[in-house]
Amino acid sequence: MDSPSQSGHPRSSSPPLDASPRSVSDTEPNVLGNVITRDLNRIQRTVAATANHLIAPLAEGAQASGHYQSAMGDLSKQLAKRPSLQKRMLSLNHRSPSELMRSRLSTSEIQHRALTHVPEEMLHNVPNYEHSYSLFQGFQATIPEESDGEGRKHRHRRRDGKHKSLEGGGGGPASLAAMDREKTALKRQLELLAIRKNMASSEIREIDQKISNLHQMRDIVFDRLAGLEQEEVEIEHEIISVENKMEDLEDELELAAIEENTRRGASTDDGSNADDTAADEGFMSESIYAKLPQKKVRKRNRRGRISTAVLHEHLEPGHKIREISAHEDTITALDFDVPFGTMVTASVDDSVRVWDLNSGRCYGSLEGHIASVRCLQVEDNLVATGSADASIRLWDLSKADAFKYSPPSTVVDDDAEIVENFKVQSMADCHVMTLGSHVDEVTALYFQGDTLVSGSADKTLRQWDLVKGRCVQTLDVLWAAAQSSMDEGKWRSPAIRAPGEGDFIGALQCFDAALACGTADGMVRLWDLRSGQVHRSLVGHTGAVTALQFDDVHLVTGSLDRSIRIWDLRTGTIYDAYGYENPVTSMQFDTRRIVSAAGVPVAKIYDKTDGRHWDCGAGATEDAINAAVVDRVRVKDGYLVEGRRDGMVGVWAC
Amino acid sequence: MTASDHLPYAADAESPLKDSELAVLRSQYTREGSFVGVQTKFNYAWGLIKSRHRHDQQLGVRLLTEIFRDHIERRRECLYYLALGHYRLGNYAEARRYNDTLLENEPGNLQALSLRSLVDEKVAREGLLGVAIVGGVAVVAGLLGSVVWRGLGRKR
Repeated sequence: MDSPSQSGHPRSSSPPLDASPRSVSDTEPNVLGNVITRDLNRIQRTVAATANHLIAPLAEGAQASGHYQSAMGDLSKQLAKRPSLQKRMLSLNHRSPSELMRSRLSTSEIQHRALTHVPEEMLHNVPNYEHSYSLFQGFQATIPEESDGEGRKHRHRRRDGKHKSLEGGGGGPASLAAMDREKTALKRQLELLAIRKNMASSEIREIDQKISNLHQMRDIVFDRLAGLEQEEVEIEHEIISVENKMEDLEDELELAAIEENTRRGASTDDGSNADDTAADEGFMSESIYAKLPQKKVRKRNRRGRISTAVLHEHLEPGHKIREISAHEDTITALDFDVPFGTMVTASVDDSVRVWDLNSGRCYGSLEGHIASVRCLQVEDNLVATGSADASIRLWDLSKADAFKYSPPSTVVDDDAEIVENFKVQSMADCHVMTLGSHVDEVTALYFQGDTLVSGSADKTLRQWDLVKGRCVQTLDVLWAAAQSSMDEGKWRSPAIRAPGEGDFIGALQCFDAALACGTADGMVRLWDLRSGQVHRSLVGHTGAVTALQFDDVHLVTGSLDRSIRIWDLRTGTIYDAYGYENPVTSMQFDTRRIVSAAGVPVAKIYDKTDGRHWDCGAGATEDAINAAVVDRVRVKDGYLVEGRRDGMVGVWAC
Repeated sequence: MTASDHLPYAADAESPLKDSELAVLRSQYTREGSFVGVQTKFNYAWGLIKSRHRHDQQLGVRLLTEIFRDHIERRRECLYYLALGHYRLGNYAEARRYNDTLLENEPGNLQALSLRSLVDEKVAREGLLGVAIVGGVAVVAGLLGSVVWRGLGRKR
């Protein structure tokens, strides 16, 4: 610890002190004061001199000022005599006075100290790692970036020099030395380059590490989100059950009040009893009648999910959320209301089933159709199904007792068992009405608000009023086509139409009074429901149109001619088109992607934002052999549901 | 090969970088944002410690402390730079603390040994000055006291 150079200077200051600590007695205070002020001035000059001069007069005045000063002098003397002791004392303190002052008085210093303080245990945890380069090497390799160009220049210059020397023929010892210098410089450059290389590669490793860490964090947060959504769902259902109970109680109270009234009426009026009860019955039934739709409306508002599920948005595109063995046979139609909401599936085995997408549980089946359901739509709690038996049925899921929530813990893992379970449950009590004016298969339907439009193999479109439950308009497609003034509006026999392929009306959608329908001749006709006339025909498809959807700008159609076409609604021209290997059987788009089923075991997805085509589904992975062809697809907010020919339904994030 | 073969001596820390060089380091540091790499951070921190301005040095020490906390694999190296940084700031106790920890682990580290002697020297010098000042103040107080006391005594 004590190097001679350090101990040297205090020792050099000590001799005068050694000589006479207390030899001089007290003198005039003025004189003393003069001496001291003079000495104090000197303090500022040099440390050694100060120590020397200060301690000597101090010792002189010690007698007069009593023991305090003498003690002080002793201490100083001791310190001066033994610098090592002094140092030890100070190092025990570990702080020099100026440091002490700073650390106690300046707030910014205190703040800085708090920020940079490293706890003791951390300080001792300093494992020795081998690095390909030290931080300082890295620093050195980084800092001369500006002079780097110079180095390059040097090299060029050197090259020039070499040429010259070659031309000049032979170099003296001076050029040899220069070249030697160059060689070392180049070697140094090479070293630097190696360090930089190491830095870059280790930086890449660092980044990889960070990425994997972030992925882990993401997984953790994702799990948290999933848990929160699950909790949300449970609480929502609890709210609903509490509300239902409240309603029940209110009903009971009302009924009790009515009974009270009738009893009072009966007790006061003992005459015409029969009349009274009849009147009461009438009143009662009326009140209940008046109440019922009101209750239904209230319930409808409440059912479904209050919160919106966002979990699937954070899943990797193509991630499988769920796979349900929904039916034993081909899925003919499916739809769902919202992500993680309610799904309805229909199969050629004539069954229609309602599913909870959140738990994968089956609520029950909708029974009533005597043939397979060809098309269906789910909106909130309302389900419309159009069947090959030429009828359309409307269902209100909230009316069914079976449509209640049970936590996912009760879900049986084995799919087969679920099938067994739900076969027992029929949701016949949620049937609202049957619309049966069509005379052939209903192949397409769409409803919005109180209006439902259906298309049938009887070559007509019908518009229905859902409040009255009546058909309000029938549109004959062939007649309208014949009426069309333009040649392109005429019915055409499709070019490549094979018999029995493609429904006469493959798809339709309406918005307010605007109706778009795609037909077997490959035409897309835009109707005005107010006039009941076609006001525009979109010609392009060479096969039957099977799918159609429009938003405010574009209309997208899928056809058996294996293509998807995107039309501009304002101009009626093709905006974009792309094709697949097989006929398109189903298509839907959301804000970002167009998803279609094209006769392969995957859902084909076209990402509108980056123009990418990709596959999503069971067939996209290695076990493609087992996967059946996807026939029906539905997508909402990146939540994709596809139904296959073997009755499986897959749910994916995309 | 240990890192000590490639450690700068304290004298190196006394030579400040050019403003432009420091600006380059700073821009690198800010560009990488919250995902700043350890080397970039160190470069900036070391550049700051070499600076003449005290607030720069403080920031440098803070960055080094962050590296020390976050990158266990670089701690051994950081000890020395932290010691140097605190030495530059005049926080000799902290400097000694880091340096001694480093010397415990690497007793033969020449740079650390030289830093230790430098720190000791500074502390001794400042310490002596401090004692001198304290002593001087005490003597003045004592003398004044005695003068007053005597003055009172004469009056009586």
